[in-house]
Amino acid sequence: MSLRNSTSGPIKTVSFHQNWSAYAFLAPALVILFLSLLLPAVATLLMSFTDVSFLKPTSFVGFDNYIKLFNDTRFQQAVGNTIHYTIGVTFPTMVLGLLAAVALNQKVPGRMAFRTIFYLPVLTSLIAAAVVWAYVYEPYAGPLNGVLTRVGLPPQPWLQDPSLAMNALIIMAIWRDFGTAMIIYLAGLQDIPNDLYEAARLDGAKGRDIFLRITVPMLSSVTFYLLIILIVQTFQVFGAIYVMTQGGPLGSTETVVYQMYQTAFGYTEFGYSAAMSTVLFLTILAFSIIGTRIMRRKDV
Amino acid sequence: MARLELSNVSKSYGAFDAITDVSLAIEDGEFAVFVGPSGCGKSTLLRLIAGLDPISDGAIRIGKDDVTRRPAGTRSVAMVFQSYALYPHMTVYDNIAFPLQMERRSKGDIRQQVEKAANTVHLSTRLKDKPSKLSGGQRQRVAIARAIVRKPKIFLMDEPLSNLDAALRIEMRTELTQLHKELGATMVYVTHDQLEAMTMADRIVVLNGGRVEQVGRPMDLYHKPVNRFVASFIGSPPMNMLRGKVKAIESEYYSFEAPGIGTIVIDGLAERLKVGEEVVLGIRPEFLAPHPAGSEPLVKIGVVPRSVERLGAQTIVHSAIEAQNFTCIFAGDQIVEPGRELNVYCDAANIHVFDAAGTTVSRK
Repeated sequence: MSLRNSTSGPIKTVSFHQNWSAYAFLAPALVILFLSLLLPAVATLLMSFTDVSFLKPTSFVGFDNYIKLFNDTRFQQAVGNTIHYTIGVTFPTMVLGLLAAVALNQKVPGRMAFRTIFYLPVLTSLIAAAVVWAYVYEPYAGPLNGVLTRVGLPPQPWLQDPSLAMNALIIMAIWRDFGTAMIIYLAGLQDIPNDLYEAARLDGAKGRDIFLRITVPMLSSVTFYLLIILIVQTFQVFGAIYVMTQGGPLGSTETVVYQMYQTAFGYTEFGYSAAMSTVLFLTILAFSIIGTRIMRRKDV
Repeated sequence: MARLELSNVSKSYGAFDAITDVSLAIEDGEFAVFVGPSGCGKSTLLRLIAGLDPISDGAIRIGKDDVTRRPAGTRSVAMVFQSYALYPHMTVYDNIAFPLQMERRSKGDIRQQVEKAANTVHLSTRLKDKPSKLSGGQRQRVAIARAIVRKPKIFLMDEPLSNLDAALRIEMRTELTQLHKELGATMVYVTHDQLEAMTMADRIVVLNGGRVEQVGRPMDLYHKPVNRFVASFIGSPPMNMLRGKVKAIESEYYSFEAPGIGTIVIDGLAERLKVGEEVVLGIRPEFLAPHPAGSEPLVKIGVVPRSVERLGAQTIVHSAIEAQNFTCIFAGDQIVEPGRELNVYCDAANIHVFDAAGTTVSRK
């Protein structure tokens, strides 16, 4: 009894003191987060219930912007384009990143050089990369069509044909993002104990079985993490489209974020754009929550 | 099951020789234990047998087959790893079934074999669990079941009990010995624990610095170590080592002068030593008694106990002679007071003599 009395006081004091220190250290970050994220998010949500355009008096419109949004065929096309882009970028990026990581996890000559080369696109400026790729896709003087012509294939209007433009953007995004996937997979691969591979070899497993039965399942947490990161990232694609296609031709590369930008700053319909932004935010939030829950369940 | 034969096996990593010219035969159905201190090459040798690392020189035969250049999965060996190496994403059933799945056996056959192996290691009720739900001992059993399900010619075990607590280790030691009897399998077991080696092995292979120091039955190694290394490695607490010199030789009687003790007379040595030659005298702690006992000539040694450990069945007395640790094991009820000098006695026939190079001077 006396022991309990003698220890309860000091423990509480230390805990209280530690909390204060923790809050003091967190405060600057919390203030910045509040001003840069939470405040604009709440302002956007409020704006989505108005017809604010800065050209006329603002009035409260309730759910009108949302009702308009779900009946807007242009928005539906943008959602379709975004899903096309997301699926087109996410899965090939992950597969290529995994294959590159597995290859460069072996003791092959020059693996450090290859790792650097594959990761370099991630470090380049998106705008600079987009300008270079716009040149690569250029229909008359572009090197891609130059190669096609040389091997006897017809040149293609990569960014001018509605059926090709989105895929052209996807290829550029894969080129830029697979280095990230490779680095994350490499970290995951190095976490797999070598004993498991040795046990599998002794159990008679060969390359394909080891890859499918050991490597891939052991990387499932990394795969889920990458999947969520890439979905969230590709859902918000803007820069490359702004530089290379401006959403064209015929709206074939207009994604949700690009349309949000156009609606707000092109047509000055800030309220309507805010409603799009809110829907996008809720979609991404839903993916993040589902992904986090799956990952947590897998960890258990 | 099969015989395992290593012929002049060597393994080098650059300039470092991990294994040097090891030749060894392990008979069909034998339980052989590789024992030695950390870094002696015992696990490396096991990996060479498994095919996980290529050998630099020599040959390995399993039964009639030369498997020297065969890859790991084709040697018909199964290995239990120190870390268990269970596949964490698979259930116990799939872990055990994995080697059979790799052989593309039918589902019915796999189920039958897995259930049989699980029964052998008492895991039938845990087949649907993931390894993370199992205790250390149960994980160890899964690893053993995964090894036995393949019916390999040779079982290799790399310190399989070192991650278990003391009580479980003793239990698993008995179970493994029992399993060896049931299966009649050829087993090669690696450990740094001489107690495990003594209790489990049909034959012990003592390794040091990548070389085989001695191969023999446990009690042969205990009573007739070929050199100082084996003498001090086998037995716990280790053999007491006292420096001395040959003082005189009269017929079969050798007199040794050992600082801190005086003159010790030993007879029956087969090899000739020269007067003045430096030697080391080895006495096992358990062969020392607090009263004169045994056959003549008896050796009397005066010690001052520094500390006394009472283990119940035994009393371990720690002292020092000429700055060398000197340990005695007495009966549990022996009264010993630290700091108070006492005489201990040893039958001279139980004293080992090692020459200056550390080789045992044999007896007739």
